[in-house]
Amino acid sequence: MKRPWYSFLYVRSPIVKIGLGIASLVLTIVLLLFIGIIEERRMEAQTANWAGREIEKGAELYANNCYNCHGMDGKGLPGVAPALHSKYFFTQRLNDIGWSGSLHDYVALTVAAGRPSRVQSQWAQMMPTWSNRFGGPFRDDQVQAVTAFVLNWEEDAMQQGAADNPDPWQYFEDAPSRAVVGEDGAPVAAVTPEPTGPRPPQELFNVMGCLGCHNLDQPQTPNNRGPVGPNLGNLYETAGTHGEDAATYVHNSIVNPNAYISEGYTAGIMPANFGERMSEEEINSLVEWLLDPNRQR
Amino acid sequence: MAVQPEIEKKSFVQTVLDTADDVFTRITAGIPAGEVRRMIRGEAPGRPNPRLKPHSEAFLLHIKPTYYHESVTKFTHTFRLGLLSTYLFFVETITGLILMIWYAPTPERAYEDMIRLLSNVPFGQFMRDMHRLGAELMVLIVTAHMVRTYLTGSYKAPRQFTWFTGVILLVVTLFLSFSGYLLPWDQLAFWAVTIGTSMAEAVPPAIVGETVNLLARGAPDIGANGLLRFYLLHVLFLPLLLFLFFFVHYYKVVHFGISLPSDEEEVGQDTANKVPADRRVYFLPDVMIDEASFLIGFTALMVLLTAFFFSAPLESIANPQSTPLHTVAPWYFYWLQGLLKIADKMIAGVIVPGVLLVLLAAIPYLDRNPSRRGRDRRVAIISGIVAGIVMIILSWMGTPYYAVQGAPAVEVVQELMPEEGAGHVREAGYQHLPLGVYDTREHPTTDDAKFNHILHEFEASIARFEEQDPSFNNAYGILKITQEQPRLKRITWEIYWLSAEGVEDRFVRTFFLHEDSLYWEQYGLRDFSFLRPPGQE
Repeated sequence: MKRPWYSFLYVRSPIVKIGLGIASLVLTIVLLLFIGIIEERRMEAQTANWAGREIEKGAELYANNCYNCHGMDGKGLPGVAPALHSKYFFTQRLNDIGWSGSLHDYVALTVAAGRPSRVQSQWAQMMPTWSNRFGGPFRDDQVQAVTAFVLNWEEDAMQQGAADNPDPWQYFEDAPSRAVVGEDGAPVAAVTPEPTGPRPPQELFNVMGCLGCHNLDQPQTPNNRGPVGPNLGNLYETAGTHGEDAATYVHNSIVNPNAYISEGYTAGIMPANFGERMSEEEINSLVEWLLDPNRQR
Repeated sequence: MAVQPEIEKKSFVQTVLDTADDVFTRITAGIPAGEVRRMIRGEAPGRPNPRLKPHSEAFLLHIKPTYYHESVTKFTHTFRLGLLSTYLFFVETITGLILMIWYAPTPERAYEDMIRLLSNVPFGQFMRDMHRLGAELMVLIVTAHMVRTYLTGSYKAPRQFTWFTGVILLVVTLFLSFSGYLLPWDQLAFWAVTIGTSMAEAVPPAIVGETVNLLARGAPDIGANGLLRFYLLHVLFLPLLLFLFFFVHYYKVVHFGISLPSDEEEVGQDTANKVPADRRVYFLPDVMIDEASFLIGFTALMVLLTAFFFSAPLESIANPQSTPLHTVAPWYFYWLQGLLKIADKMIAGVIVPGVLLVLLAAIPYLDRNPSRRGRDRRVAIISGIVAGIVMIILSWMGTPYYAVQGAPAVEVVQELMPEEGAGHVREAGYQHLPLGVYDTREHPTTDDAKFNHILHEFEASIARFEEQDPSFNNAYGILKITQEQPRLKRITWEIYWLSAEGVEDRFVRTFFLHEDSLYWEQYGLRDFSFLRPPGQE
């Protein structure tokens, strides 16, 4: 019979077969030994990998849900929400509120349960409840991911308080230890930056925390209302409809926000101290900018 | 046994040797040491053959035939595919049992358990990869086994029922593999199984389909109940079913014997069980050595593949609220996904697979041609090959390359940095993504060759879609890489283009990448970069 081309696949000799079997066995053992030797390093790399991926997930959640109030870089917005990316937060905050647990627990609990109370709160908005255990949108792993992301600021935050990065509080207003001279590792007194003349309205809108509650791009219509404060996308049309001329109305709303409350919103949400925090010149420029239909960001 | 009179009769040494031989014979279930020696020396057995005893003494051997026809022991007659399928079931059972130790089938724990398995259990990743590789190989080899049986016509009388049980085993294997898919509870698992079970919903009449779907998922959507059901299917029900049908199948194989090569017997004859004495190859020792060395060799190959070339995927945790782009079925169901793209859910998802299955099981009864010789079976073989080619084309159509392209800008980003899985950018890694803003119109280059490659691909990919899509003109991309946090980079892809009407449009997608993150592809050389000392590239 003609031997087919694949006849090399026929191994006839039992000795060769046994030899191949033993060789395979040795190879298997060598491979398993190799895996065993690198196993410790592999597990370390995997542990770091999943911690890293958790921070990535947390960053995504933060960018989608938290930055409105706590700021893109986590440094908070005055009157809206405290800074998380601050040395104070990582060193002194737990002492100030008498928290005996870890910072991780503090952050995770605050994210999960929120701060759904206005009593003794200095902030304009309540921290919403995020965990789906208490009616929020996050699963447990998402609460953990956001917490991991927030805690990942520590390395950066600890460098605050130096000359080029002076403010260790970073808009953390309710900070009793601010008055205390910093001990070892505690924040040193803030250096108030020299005022450099009137700030542009774009910057004011940002640093005063307006954007935490007021959306500049969306128009305010019955079907599209800002959830906390009215949208300002079409302010130039709506501002003049309250019995005052538009500029006066907007000016009053900034300086004395409770004088007129648009229907469906609650008094006392918007901070009432903007008149002290901005110069008259700055407020006027802000009003003018807000009423400009073609305003530039 | 009274030892003393023995010693008096024989010498002490002889008594010890006899006792040792006795013990040896019990261990080998009937073969004395001298016979083992003769086996190894390759001597022919005496008459009556003393090497048959284990087949009646030992449970595990009593189901194996004592001898085979010389022609069917040639490797290329069966390629040992049936043996291999059985062995893979064994491998899956062992690795699966080990994986069960670290796994709880609840949505709260399943995914976390996978991470713990990967990062805290020695050989945990190896076991998982091996289990996954074994599952995919099993589907492959069971299918190859069927193709071989078809091409040699071995399903013909009297083996029709063997073929039928084989078809059932194929289906059970596919379901086993698919039911295991859900257990890691990641996006890949969740959406593949959501799509899979939604096909059951198309079974007419509606009440039946909905009930089947509800029974499989345990709720209108897959959740805790669905996971538990799939887990029980995977670890209990389907293995038991496979076990049962395996024994029926194997009993039939032994009962009728493995069919001889077709040109060694007359057309219409079946002489597999009438083996002339001079053509017998005994199981002990010849076939046993052959099978054992083959399986050890195969195990070595599997370990080698697992160690270097195969890593089971694990995507983000299952999220019922967000469907990832380009959700795909496992590769062995690509053909079904391809069908679903060109036909209605009811036709492609239920009627065609159902008819195919019935046809497959009925092949021995439809093919009335008594000859198993290739030259007499031209129609059967050609239609088999055509069916195979159709399957391959449908499978290709099942991949995202066919007919599910999203908007060009979305696809450009997906190619480089997919929503799930690795992609070029994540494979290049944190180190190779220098901070900065890169505009494709300026053809930027950096000092980093890997990053230059990414930029080049970004540009080329935009250019390619610009050519293909008339509503994607004057396109350019901007890649921004900024430091979001210590050891965390923000990667923003922005693509600007003019639509067919000349309206400017843009797409922005942001990803984050941590320095420690490792992303891997399922197939391909494993990433051993963690072995490098830290700080070195």
